[in-house]
Amino acid sequence: MKKYLKLSLVALLVLSLALALAGCGGKQEAAKTEGTNPSPPAEKKILKVSTEAAYAPFEFKDKDNNIVGFDAEFIRAVAKEMGYEAELTHVAWDGLIPSLESGAADIVISAMTITEERKKSTLFSEPYLNIVQSVGIKEGSPIKSLDDLKGKTIGVQNNTTGHYWAAKFYNVKPEDNFDKIKKFDTTPDALEALKTGAVDAVVADKPVVLAYIKENPNSKLTKVDSDKFEKEYYGMAMKLGNEELAKKVNDAIKKVKENGTYDSLVKKYFPE
Amino acid sequence: MRWEIIIDRIPILLQGALMTVELTVLAVGIGTVIGLFTSLFRISKFGLSRFLAATYIDFFRGTPLLAQIYLIYFGLPQLVGYVPNPWISGVAALSINSGAYIAEIFRAGIQSIDKGQMEASRSLGMSYGQAMRYVILPQAFKRIVPPLGNEFIAMLKDSSLVSVITLQELMLTGRTIVGSTYRPFEVYITVAVLYLVMTLSISRLIAFLERRLRTGDLH
Amino acid sequence: MIYIKDLYKSFGTLEVLKGVSCHVKEKEVVVVIGPSGSGKSTLLRCINKLEDATSGEITVDNIPLNGSATNLNKVREEVGMVFQRFNLFPHKTALGNITMAPMKVRKTAKAEVYEAALKLLNKVGLSDKADVYPDQLSGGQQQRVAIARALAMQPKIMLFDEPTSALDPEMVGEVLAVMKNLAREGMTMVVVSHEMGFAREVGDRVIFMDEGMIIEEGTPEQVFGSPQHQRTKAFLSKIL
Ligand SMILES: Nc1ncnc2c1ncn2[C@@H]1O[C@H](COP(=O)(O)OP(=O)(O)OP(=O)(O)O)[C@@H](O)[C@H]1O
Ligand SMILES: [Mg+2]
Repeated sequence: MKKYLKLSLVALLVLSLALALAGCGGKQEAAKTEGTNPSPPAEKKILKVSTEAAYAPFEFKDKDNNIVGFDAEFIRAVAKEMGYEAELTHVAWDGLIPSLESGAADIVISAMTITEERKKSTLFSEPYLNIVQSVGIKEGSPIKSLDDLKGKTIGVQNNTTGHYWAAKFYNVKPEDNFDKIKKFDTTPDALEALKTGAVDAVVADKPVVLAYIKENPNSKLTKVDSDKFEKEYYGMAMKLGNEELAKKVNDAIKKVKENGTYDSLVKKYFPE
Repeated sequence: MRWEIIIDRIPILLQGALMTVELTVLAVGIGTVIGLFTSLFRISKFGLSRFLAATYIDFFRGTPLLAQIYLIYFGLPQLVGYVPNPWISGVAALSINSGAYIAEIFRAGIQSIDKGQMEASRSLGMSYGQAMRYVILPQAFKRIVPPLGNEFIAMLKDSSLVSVITLQELMLTGRTIVGSTYRPFEVYITVAVLYLVMTLSISRLIAFLERRLRTGDLH
Repeated sequence: MIYIKDLYKSFGTLEVLKGVSCHVKEKEVVVVIGPSGSGKSTLLRCINKLEDATSGEITVDNIPLNGSATNLNKVREEVGMVFQRFNLFPHKTALGNITMAPMKVRKTAKAEVYEAALKLLNKVGLSDKADVYPDQLSGGQQQRVAIARALAMQPKIMLFDEPTSALDPEMVGEVLAVMKNLAREGMTMVVVSHEMGFAREVGDRVIFMDEGMIIEEGTPEQVFGSPQHQRTKAFLSKIL
């Protein structure tokens, strides 16, 4: 009995050591080729990108676990224009801006609306897309306009512009623990809760609500649009003060827009 | 450092901490009742009840709490067709999970009591139930206090997982504040300190109880 | 009082009792001796159903133990048992140990139970220890409380499983004295013990067991004085 215990402990130790070494080894090798082998082909410089890949059609994971979507393809094109290779990492929404602070990422692209609040703590690129909010509801719901939302439970993704809109609508602070606003980690979670009836409506970026309705035809969801929603502009976020990177990014955005790549992406992801 | 951000938000943070405490107390309280009966099923002489108890314990200890929370809030409604309430779902998920751990704590406690105690009780004409209630469990409870304290502390921390179903306990409160202030350090260090205050209070309380039990005041 | 016929008991493949038959009359004191592992404890434990017999018949006070309708707890109420290692309830005082079963099982009124319990404590010479917890009592005192606890259920039969073998020598006497008193009062007793003095003084009969069988039985004088069987002689020469 004791012997087996000891044996399995040793095995566990060896295994974890091996895994740790394998992890290091991979990185060391990469570093070596970069350092000792400057001759062709020249190593691509890496642009570290954080994104919350649970936000179709902007960024989501395909069945092979690759991050795809409008933002994903767009940043890859922008990085290429800059002479970089974009390396996308999934980070939870609330962790995106902190990932810039910590240096884990150079840039964030994640369907993030440029707001005055956010500008205080991050540096935004030029806007690259504009959208509006929309209200996801169940088919047959009595909600026909924004006014009908009064008294209804609204599901939102925590700290999104939809969340801030709902907070303003109910005249509370975003961080207040307010009964009528349910804060989810992801927009799909909020839309799932809409399906089960746990919330009466979901306020989120219109393309996302649209994509979800399309992808889930059986879920009997629809949406309410309103021109009372203000136009929002998506921007890429960088660390405050990193003007040098921002300039390169803005130049590249311009080029990608000019060379037709941008239009073909828009056509691909937003056909209507 | 911009500590004024925190000062302004102390009330809302405390409100979050209060929910964390409520969730934990309910989960461990209900979990203790579930755990007591499950442990009795687990050691009973009836094969079926042993099997059911073991299955419950294995499932809830062997799967992530996060998966259980999602399952109860998002999964089951799809199957059964009820409208999930985050508070009830959260308390249910935490209690059922805690019950599985506490069942094993109880089982270990009961089985650590000398066999002679059960035999002496039975030889005096007590039924199995009476022997459990008056002789075995009162002794087992004393040994259960320290591991139960650990479970309490673990649950206090794990309760943050119910933030994914919109329960605004301490962690989600902190995350939301960071979302609008972008001061992760100030906010999360405050959140951490609040958790620490709570866990330290519990371990002090448990240590105190243990001392009382050892000196025999609660024989 | 106790009839045992062709009693067999196995633990898995290990056969511990191999056809034991015996009869204990009312007010009789029977002393069981035999080498370690011979099945003495198992025999006692079968008599109050702490163990289920594999086959055979046991009748206690005219109640057959294998009868399905028999309320086992009822039989156990009639049969008191004292263990080698006392098995007192550590979370209860001496008084609490004694009063628990009468109150919870017999549902006798509290005042009555306490009065009887104090008398019993007096009888075993521990009137001053009523409110003391077991861990503050010596081994001999604990065993005397255990005897009082068993007596509180007013059993018709008392079983003792090596009641003095876990005690320091100087405490053996006080426990045996209590047991002798009990025997003189006419209690039916089955005692597993190697205390020759006790057996000679109050024992009506001695049973020698070995390897799950009764090898020899008779009065203490017969068994100790002139054992018939070779195995009895060998065993006695070892313990004397
Ligand atoms: N619950 C049990 N499971 C398996 N084997 C057991 C069990 N109880 C007793 N035995 C075995 O049965 C045999 C007889 O045990 P028992 O306790 O009756 O002997 P004993 O004569 O009382 O011995 P001692 O003088 O050492 O007390 C021993 O070999 C013991 O190991
Ligand atoms: Mg024995």
